[in-house]
Amino acid sequence: MDKKTTLLKGRPVIKGIAEGEALVCPESIQGWAGIDDETGVIIEKGHSQEGVSIKDRILVLPCSKGSNGWSSHFHSAKVKGITPAGWLFSKMDSRTGVAAVVIDIPAVADFEDTDPVEAIKTGDWVKVDANRGIVEVLHK
Amino acid sequence: MKLTDYEKKMLAGEEGKLKQVAMEKIVKYAETLGAEELCIVTKATIFCGAHHYLNAVESDDFDEVFSEMYMSSSEKLVLDTVSKECFCQTDVAPCDRYQWKNLKQSKTLFEKNRSYIKRAQDAGIHIAESCTPYLIGWIPLRGEHFVTAESHVVLMCNSIWSACGNSDGIEAAFWSGICARTPKWGNHIMENRKGTHVFELSCKSETPFDWDLIGYTIGRKLPAHAIPVISGNFERPDIIRLKQCFAAMGTTSGAEICHIVGITPEAPTLKEALGAKEPEGIIQITQENIDDSMKMLCDEGASSIEFVSLGCPHYTLQEISEAAAYMDGRKIKESVRFFIWTNYAIKKMADENGYTDIIRKAGGDIYTSSCPLVAGADCHAGVNGMALDGAKQVHYIRSETDAKVFYGDMYQCIDAAVSGRWGE
Repeated sequence: MDKKTTLLKGRPVIKGIAEGEALVCPESIQGWAGIDDETGVIIEKGHSQEGVSIKDRILVLPCSKGSNGWSSHFHSAKVKGITPAGWLFSKMDSRTGVAAVVIDIPAVADFEDTDPVEAIKTGDWVKVDANRGIVEVLHK
Repeated sequence: MKLTDYEKKMLAGEEGKLKQVAMEKIVKYAETLGAEELCIVTKATIFCGAHHYLNAVESDDFDEVFSEMYMSSSEKLVLDTVSKECFCQTDVAPCDRYQWKNLKQSKTLFEKNRSYIKRAQDAGIHIAESCTPYLIGWIPLRGEHFVTAESHVVLMCNSIWSACGNSDGIEAAFWSGICARTPKWGNHIMENRKGTHVFELSCKSETPFDWDLIGYTIGRKLPAHAIPVISGNFERPDIIRLKQCFAAMGTTSGAEICHIVGITPEAPTLKEALGAKEPEGIIQITQENIDDSMKMLCDEGASSIEFVSLGCPHYTLQEISEAAAYMDGRKIKESVRFFIWTNYAIKKMADENGYTDIIRKAGGDIYTSSCPLVAGADCHAGVNGMALDGAKQVHYIRSETDAKVFYGDMYQCIDAAVSGRWGE
C-alpha cells in the first residue's frame, strides 16, 4: 500500500541533505534542563517526549523557549557525538538561529503555507533538502 | 550582507584571528536569521566560568574549551581580548565568589572556576557574576543594542528601558562581545516590537510572589513568537516585581519583550503598545489560572526541609533587608542549609548595613555569583525537601532532583527554614 507523502517548503537555513524519523515537539524544548548534556535525551519534566533522545531524528519545533542557554546544551550533546539528523523550525527566532549555526546540521525554517509542527507527526519519515528548502514527509 | 569597511576588515582577519572567527559566526548567524546588516553592540553580559555543561569537552585547557564551546571552532583559539566598543561583564558562575564548602563543591572546581573567570577578566570582561546586571549599573538605554546570556535580562532591558536585544545564546553573546556586532534583526528593529497578544489580568497582583506567578502563567499561555501586552486591572509593579515576572515568563516561553500598559515606555496606551493594530488574541489571566500554576510549581504534601534558597533572580538590597528584618532574632533549624543569593556588590552593601550579620546569626548566609541551578545538583544532593521562592528556580530544578520541591514567598521559605518542615 502506498504511504501518503506531503511536501513542505521553507527557507533553507543551514544547507545539506538529511533524513530520519520525525520527533515533533509542539511545546518546543526548554533551554535549561531541556535535553541532557551528554545523552541528548529530553529531560524537561512533563514534556510530551520526556525520555526520548534527539539523536538522528528530524527535530520539528515551532520555536525555542526558556533559557538563553538554548543552543549550549545541544552544543554539549554535539561534542558527545549526539545531534539530530536535521531540524525544522516553523519560524526562525534568535535562540534557534544561534543553535542552527552552532550545531551545523541541515536546517529549514520559516515555512510557507503549512506549519511543519501540524503537518508532521512523530514517527513519520522525513527527508530534508536544506539546499532548496524542500521537506518530504512520508507519513507512517 | 551589507557590511561596513571595519566589519569587512574584521572578517578579513586584519583585526586578529579571534575577531575574524567571531565575525564569521555573527555573519553566519545573520544569514541564518535572514538579516541584511549588523548593528553595533555596546553592552554584553557573558556566561563565563567553569560551568558544568563545558565538561563535554574532556579537557581542563581553557583555550580548548573556549574554542569549542564558545567559538564553535575546531581550531584552537586564544581568548586574548574582547572588543573595546562593547562593555562586557560576566553572568553568573557555577561557584560562589568566596566559598565552596557549604555548597558541597570541591576546592578543585572552585579554583578551576576562578581560573576561568581570570582568563575572561584578562581579556577585558569585567567580573560581575550577576544574573541581574541592571541592579549594578549595566543598563542599556532606549535604542542601545545589547547582548546577554540571561533570558530575563532580555525581557527587562527591551521592556523597561526600550533597549534592543534578542535572546541569541551563550555562544553568540561571546561572539558579539569580541566583535561588538550582532545581526540587525528581531528586537533590534523598533517596528518589530509591537504587541500581538493582550493579557488581561484579573488575578492578584500585589506582591513580588504574585508577579512571579503572573509571569509564569503568561509564559504558559503565550503562543509561539507572540509579543505579550499586559493590560487589565493590576497593582502598579516595581522593579522587584518585574524582575520576578520576567524571570518566570522567560522560563515558560520564548518571550523577549513584554509591554505593560501605563508602565513600560513603548506602552503608554494599549493602542500604542499594539501599533494601532487589532490584537491577534486576547487572553484572560484569572486567579484560577494562577492557582493552576501554583499547583504545577509547588509539590503537594509535607516533608522535612533541609535546603532553603532565596534570590532567583538575585536579590536586591531591598529584598535582603526585608529577609533580614523577618529573620532577626529567629533561629534556622540546624539541619537546614539556608542561602540568599545576590551579586558581590550588593553583598558588600548588605554587610555594611548589618543584614549579613543578622542572617548569619539566624544560621543562614548570603552567597554571591551563582544559584543552586547553576551551582549544580551536588549542592542539594540527598535532601528530602527544599523550599525556594523563585518560579524559575523551582521549574528548572525539578529536572535535577528527586527531592520534594516547595514554592512559596520569602516569608514562607524562612518559616520553613526555622521549623525544618513544609506542610503539616
